[in-house]
Parts: sequence; C-alpha cells; structure tokens
Amino acid sequence: MKKITLSLTLVLICTALVAQTDYAYETFDDTRIVNGHSVETKNEGILTFIIAHRFGPMTSGRNNLWGLDFARMRMGLDYGITNKLMVGLGRTSTDGTIDGYVKYKFLSQSSGERSMPISATFLGGYALETKAVHPNPDLELDLSQKSSYVAQILIARKLGDKLSLQVMPTFLHRNLVADDEENDIFAVGFAGQYQFLKNWSVSTEYYLTPKSSLPNNPDGNDFQQSLSFSVQIDTKGHIFQLHISNSQGMVERTFISESEGDWQDGKFLKRDIFFGFNITRDFKIKGRKIR
Amino acid sequence: MKSIKILLLVIVPAILGVSMISILEKPDWDDETPVFEVLAELGEDKPEHFVTMTDEKVKRGEDLVKLGKATGPNGEKGKYISKFYTCTSCHNLSREDPNLATVDQDARLKYAMENKIPYLQGSTFWGIVNRETWYNDDYVLKYGDLVRKAENSLKASTELCAVVCSQGRSLKDWEMESILAYMWSLQMKMGDLDISKEDTEEWKENKSEENVALIKSKYLQKSPATFAHLPESKSEGYPFDGRPEMGKGIFELGCQHCHRPDGESDVVFENNKQTLGWLKKHITDDSDKSIYQIIRKGTYAEYGHKEYMPHYTLEKMSHQQVEDLRAFIEEGA
Repeated sequence: MKKITLSLTLVLICTALVAQTDYAYETFDDTRIVNGHSVETKNEGILTFIIAHRFGPMTSGRNNLWGLDFARMRMGLDYGITNKLMVGLGRTSTDGTIDGYVKYKFLSQSSGERSMPISATFLGGYALETKAVHPNPDLELDLSQKSSYVAQILIARKLGDKLSLQVMPTFLHRNLVADDEENDIFAVGFAGQYQFLKNWSVSTEYYLTPKSSLPNNPDGNDFQQSLSFSVQIDTKGHIFQLHISNSQGMVERTFISESEGDWQDGKFLKRDIFFGFNITRDFKIKGRKIR
Repeated sequence: MKSIKILLLVIVPAILGVSMISILEKPDWDDETPVFEVLAELGEDKPEHFVTMTDEKVKRGEDLVKLGKATGPNGEKGKYISKFYTCTSCHNLSREDPNLATVDQDARLKYAMENKIPYLQGSTFWGIVNRETWYNDDYVLKYGDLVRKAENSLKASTELCAVVCSQGRSLKDWEMESILAYMWSLQMKMGDLDISKEDTEEWKENKSEENVALIKSKYLQKSPATFAHLPESKSEGYPFDGRPEMGKGIFELGCQHCHRPDGESDVVFENNKQTLGWLKKHITDDSDKSIYQIIRKGTYAEYGHKEYMPHYTLEKMSHQQVEDLRAFIEEGA
C-alpha cells in the first residue's frame, strides 16, 4: 500500500513538473479583421497608428477609378496597457466621428494543463458624430444626441495553423433615432481568417443585423447586412489589409447598422461595393515582461 | 636527561616539520570554494569588476538580468533598461559547456539538448566574472573603438550591452553594482573545474604562479569570437552533411528562444510546414530571410525598428550546425 501511495505521489509530482499550458497565438493577424475588431489585443507598451480608407462605390466607374477618387478616412491610435488590455481613439472623416474604445481579452485559447477552447475579448466603445445635424436646421443636437455606444463579446477559436473563426455578439445603442426606429440594435457578427502563407492571409467578416432593426436610410435605399473580404500582408512592423466591402463606415455604428452597398445588385464593378484598406504601424513605447 | 633533551630537540621539530609539509601539501580548497578566492590567495589581483555581494544586491541584479528592471535600493521603481530585450534574451545563466577549457560546439549543443538550455549567441553569465576579456577577437576587429574599453572591462561590457546591444539606456550605478553582484553569484567554483588527482599531486609541487596557471588551464579566459563567412554558394551550403536531429535542437533551443509568441521577435517560428516551408524557400535569398545570412550576419537595429537579431559567431554555431539546421528545415518543409 505504501509503495502504491509513493508511486502515485511520484507520478503526480512528475506530471505536475512536465505538464505545461500552450496558448494559441495570433488567432488573427491584427486587432481588426476588416471593419470590426478581432479578439487580438496589442502587447503591453505597443502604440499602433492605424489609417483606414474607404473609397467610393465601384459603380462610379472608370472616370472615378471605380471609387478611388472619393475617400473616407479614419486615423486612430491604439495602445496596449497590458498584454490583454488596450484602448483606442480615432477620428473618421465621415460626420467627423470621434470614437474611443476599451478592449479586454479575458480568455485565451489554450491546451495542455489548462485547457480553454476559445479566446474571448470584451469591447466597449463610444462614438460621437461631431458633425451630425438635426433635420430641422433651426435646432441643434447636443452631445448625447450625437452619441452612440457599442458592446461586443468577441469569441474566437484557432483551428490548426491556418484557420481561425470568430463570432461577435453585438449590442449597439444609438441615443438619437427616428420615431419609428429602435435605439438598441442586437446583431451577431461572423468572421474568419485563413493563413495561406507565412505572412499572407485572407479573411471575411459578416454582420447579421435584423432588418427590422436597421435604421431608415435618408437616401431611400435600404441599409444592408455588412459583408467584407480582405487580404492581409504582414511585414516587419506594418500590417496591410486590402479589402472590398459593402460598408463605407469604419465605426461600429456605421458598418453594423448603416451599410449602404448591395452585393447582389449588378455585376461586380457595377455594384455599390467599396474598395478600401487599413494600414497599421507599431511603435514600441515601453518595455514589457518578455520571459 | 641530556640525551632526552637532545632527542626532544630533534624529534619535535622533525614531527612539526613533517606536519607543516603535510599542511602545505594539501590544497586549501574544496569543491565549493570560489575559483576567484583560490586565485586571490595565490596572489592574483582582485578584478576591476569585483563587488561585495549582499542578498539584496544579488536579488536586484537577478531582477535586472531576468526581468529587465528592478526596484532600487531606496525603493525607487526602476524602468526597463531596454524596451526590446532582457539579458536572458541572448545570455544563459547556467553552465553551457561540459568542458570549460575548449570550444566544442557539438558538445555544447548536446549539453544544451540534454539539459534544455537555450542555444544562444551570447556567452553565459555563469562564470563570466572569471574571464579576463569580453568583446574580444573579431568584435574588436569589426567594431574597433566601440568595444575597445569593453574588451578589458566587464563593467564597460555590461554598459555597452545595455546601451548598444540591447538598444536600451545607460545603467545607473546601483543597477551596475547589482548586476555585477548577481554575476558574482554565478561565479565558478573549484568543483566546476576538471581538477584531477594528478593535478592535485602536481599542486603540491608547484609554486604559486604554477598553480595559478594550472587553475586557469581548466577554463577559457575568454570566449573566442570569430565572425564567420557565408558559404560560397548558398544552394550548396557549407561542405557538411546536415544532421536533422541536431538541427531540431538548434531550432527549438536557438531560434524559438526569441521567435515565439510574445517573444523578442514579431516573427513566430513554429515547428510546422508553414514556417519550415517559408524558411526553406528563402535559404538561397540574398537577404536576412536566408538562414545563412541571418545566422552569420544577423540584422541591424534601424530607425523605427530597433529590434534586431545578433549573429552567431563560429564558436557559438559551427558551419556543421548551420547545415544541421538546414537539414531539419528541409526535412520538415
């Protein structure tokens, strides 16, 4: 009995010494998939400058270089406070929207001694349309009326070396809406990335927003579900994302609930879809625990 | 009575004399005696980098070496010496070589594989205080005045490493003292040296200088550094047959020391077809994507991207071992 107990104890000790946890890393190439966020957060001390362009519709034809002559831009800065907590601030040319967010990765996919099948990140954001105007020109909007909020749980899993999938339950709140619209919109996003080379990958992102929740489009056409496709190139210090999307918006309020383009309307270059790109550049501001 | 006195006068000194000889014959050290102390007793001067060790200093030094920052003696919170590296990015803290008196890359690699020690470009801090030169040989040839002072000074070497090699900042006095104190805690002991029975016999006959030489013959006074050339043809490589099983050790203990998730490098190397295929594809490139280029030449710190990879000298990775790594990559790609 004593021998068995001793043997078991030794086995347990050896197992404890040998067991380790392997964490999944780089589930996605960057903190953004196309328009929306991935589960990734920046490492501590990393400041990222992100510049995003969304061009005009391809239906604008050859003379306008299929939309390249018209550009909307967002510039932003993201910063890793810790390896799991990051904050970001940005401004979009559309409506002069200023946005900010906090992102915290509370689960990391892992195997081994500690097994976790998914990674999960919470995102909380705020956007202020500084140029938004009241339909009645005699009235002005106050700050709260120009504000919107978003909360997301980003849940992802890396499946092998090449494929990652993500689902994004989303809550969007717009303070000011028309009488026949809802302030709150619940949507679910789906995204995936496939890494076909060491530093090249393709990805897609789709937001399923209930049609009944979509706001009225002042232009008359119905807003659509957001669907985007992207190619990523990871270089030393830069990430380039080239994409096409039916969304011109770069802030959650716009691409989740106000996507104007229609993938199904017309042939490829005659659709209201938009070419765009994101470029990010990392700067190391302070050191971190490396090992 | 007189004869007894004479007898005592003869016998007692004789006994005392024999005892003295016996005391002189025995080396006055054991396995735990620091080498430095034995040398000091034999008349060697204290090195310039000598500092008195206290537990607090050693602990602070350990934090500085392993974490890159520490709390100062007056409670001040230290800042990272480097944003990019810690000492252990490039240096081990344990013995690396089974035989301290020779450079034997394969023996070192096998020792590393058996003991799970990283296979790194920099020399281990273990025993570094016992050496007499640093940044020697081809470092001096290539870098000249930048390393001249560091060649003969461990303090200057440490400062050079903090500012230049680590792309960090100058060390504060308490940081330097703490790092040196920690290094002294890793000094060689007599038991680490391969002192044989014959050596001990020889010790008894020797004078001090000879015993100093005997001790110093048991370990290298410097870490030789030869900056090696690229192969004439990258497609043909160096004239050795690669051993993939050794290459696996180099990949895991060398490359993946930094090329890992959240590591020093943004580029993560996995032991999978994607990584190995990429490495194989670039073997013959004239760029730092080629393993020949990156191992023999490293990269440079650049504006906007200060992180770089130091190269491996010939003594830290032989041509045979580069071919071993290539064989491992090609086999797995």
